[in-house]
Amino acid sequence: MSVFIDRNTSVEVQGATGKEGAYWLKHMKDMGTRVVFGVTPGKEGQDVDGVPVFHSARRGMKAHPAELAMLFVPPRFTKDAVFEALDAGIRKIVTIAEGVPLHELIQIRKAALSCGAMVIGGNTSGVISPGKGMAGCIPYWIERVYRKGDIGVMTRSGSLTNEVTAEVVKGGFGISTLIGVGGDSIPGTRFAELLPLYEQDQETKALVIIGELGGSMEEEVAEAMEAEIFTKPLVAFIGGRTAPEGKRMGHAGAIVSGGKGSVAGKVAALEKAGGLTAAKPSQVGGLLRQALG
Amino acid sequence: MKLFEYQAKEAFSEAGIPIPEGRLAQDAGEAREAARRLGSPCVLKAQVLRGGRGKAGLIQFAESAEEAERKAAGLFASPHGVRKLLVERAIAVERELYLSLALDPVAATAMFIACAEGGVEIETLAAEQPEKIVTVPVDLDWGLMPHHVRELTFGLRLSGDTAKAVGDIAGNLFKVFRATGAELAEINPLFVTKEGGTVAGDGKLVIDDNMGDARGKYPLAPEYFDTQTEYEAALEGIPYLQFDGDIALMCAGAGLTTTVFDLVHYAGGTVANYLEFGGPNYTKAVQAMRLCLKNPSKVLLVVTFGTIARADVMANGLVEAIKALRPTVPIVTCIRGTNEEEAFATLRAAGLDPLYETEEAVRRAVDIAAGRRA
Repeated sequence: MSVFIDRNTSVEVQGATGKEGAYWLKHMKDMGTRVVFGVTPGKEGQDVDGVPVFHSARRGMKAHPAELAMLFVPPRFTKDAVFEALDAGIRKIVTIAEGVPLHELIQIRKAALSCGAMVIGGNTSGVISPGKGMAGCIPYWIERVYRKGDIGVMTRSGSLTNEVTAEVVKGGFGISTLIGVGGDSIPGTRFAELLPLYEQDQETKALVIIGELGGSMEEEVAEAMEAEIFTKPLVAFIGGRTAPEGKRMGHAGAIVSGGKGSVAGKVAALEKAGGLTAAKPSQVGGLLRQALG
Repeated sequence: MKLFEYQAKEAFSEAGIPIPEGRLAQDAGEAREAARRLGSPCVLKAQVLRGGRGKAGLIQFAESAEEAERKAAGLFASPHGVRKLLVERAIAVERELYLSLALDPVAATAMFIACAEGGVEIETLAAEQPEKIVTVPVDLDWGLMPHHVRELTFGLRLSGDTAKAVGDIAGNLFKVFRATGAELAEINPLFVTKEGGTVAGDGKLVIDDNMGDARGKYPLAPEYFDTQTEYEAALEGIPYLQFDGDIALMCAGAGLTTTVFDLVHYAGGTVANYLEFGGPNYTKAVQAMRLCLKNPSKVLLVVTFGTIARADVMANGLVEAIKALRPTVPIVTCIRGTNEEEAFATLRAAGLDPLYETEEAVRRAVDIAAGRRA
């Protein structure tokens, strides 16, 4: 078993015939992901790389039940697409779009919480269990970044993930499942909510979290460690240690305000809970070796 | 985007929230005229986006139109970049409350935050006297209901007309919050006047950049930014922050750029600007470099690790930008990711020495900035 997605997980792709959707649908399949149908309103009867396309998620579900919805849908249609997947009975959803209005992000998360679903994203490159399954736009073919192994990764960033994951691989390790929760200030699923999955996953021996300034997700991880909800070794790299207060550093969620969300506070909380923290990406491999004894 | 006080108050007033009688002034003469029409005493409030205006002397009282003119001249001449003053009739205040609406990303609701003591910063109050703060979660799909309002006004220990007036203000604040897709709508202080009225003494509204309808009403303008370059970057949709150090960052990906920013500081260097041209901007190397070159710097540091934002496309863009703009500062590159072999070949052909490790690239940039190598 893996976390969130493995080789048996059936996946439907919303926005399947779009440029991004069609491109990544093919890559998801090539990697071995079980893509069972696509959705594009008005394009039922077509196919993308042999995958049948339906007008709606509900129509697709009648013919090919899917467990996971992968959304390649622009930000202004994202809320509708998430709710369409929920209405079709799907409880695992990944959405990549950046720029979904804040109030809609709140409504998306609230709906997911209400019906026991998990929405990963937005503003993420998705989820991958190398060699098994991928929902997103992750270049699994870059071997020095996405080698298969037994280290779980949770991240708020795309480009920084490549940088840090390359260090995991350089350190002699590989990835069990990588989940990008996204760079927004209101992610659909928070780090701490994924910890029980990694805790149970026998293929994950340790966890790397790639965090950054702003919000409270890293502090929530520390609380879960203190409460022994998560007991495996954990290494964290958190960007923005030298960022000035009040400046938004690229991501919508990356801002220290009112003295809250500082990297110093996050590092202190995680270390107190028994985690190891890297000041630079290049230290991550060594810390993993140290953590795994 | 954070709006100016006068814009927030306009939005509040349109929704039915009482605000003090006031006029906008763009020079000292207009301030005098505004004070004459409003009558004395009046308050002059500098329209700047920074907090703590009171402590910085950016809010002044005037007893006459002449005094208003003199004090306005001082405010316009201050180093805080004051372009507009809000001149308001002074209010006889009985007490001050705090009322705001924000989003709770964990519970996934809107959240009223209120306190029977206004005027101080809510962060200070939350740290020192958390028991005085009343919070009421509101589900965005349910909308605001009477019990939410009761929870709020009973929590503030209000009664009678004041409770009713504050309840009405809370309802109207919720309307503004929803209509603008706001991140924050705050009234601090909310005045209860000696005559028993309630008036928004200040207004803060942070609207959602991703809400097209709300944004259309407040087009980008230089006055929202500290520097002209930050404004120009915003027009291009390129995240850019101005600093005053030596190394111009032209990187891709918010997380990676922020990490490079840290690594420069760890290595003893200083940053001239933070610029991030990843995601949808990865083909905008020319615009990105043009922005970086507006700022004096000793070296340009390009670090990317792109996947969708392919390395070969970024390398081509960089070479094209060098040809178009002919920068005189040295350039250090560390461009990796999809098709990185082609990227390396492109950069070498253009006479650059492409690096593969971020931390090595940062060290080289810091050494160049310090004059330790060319």
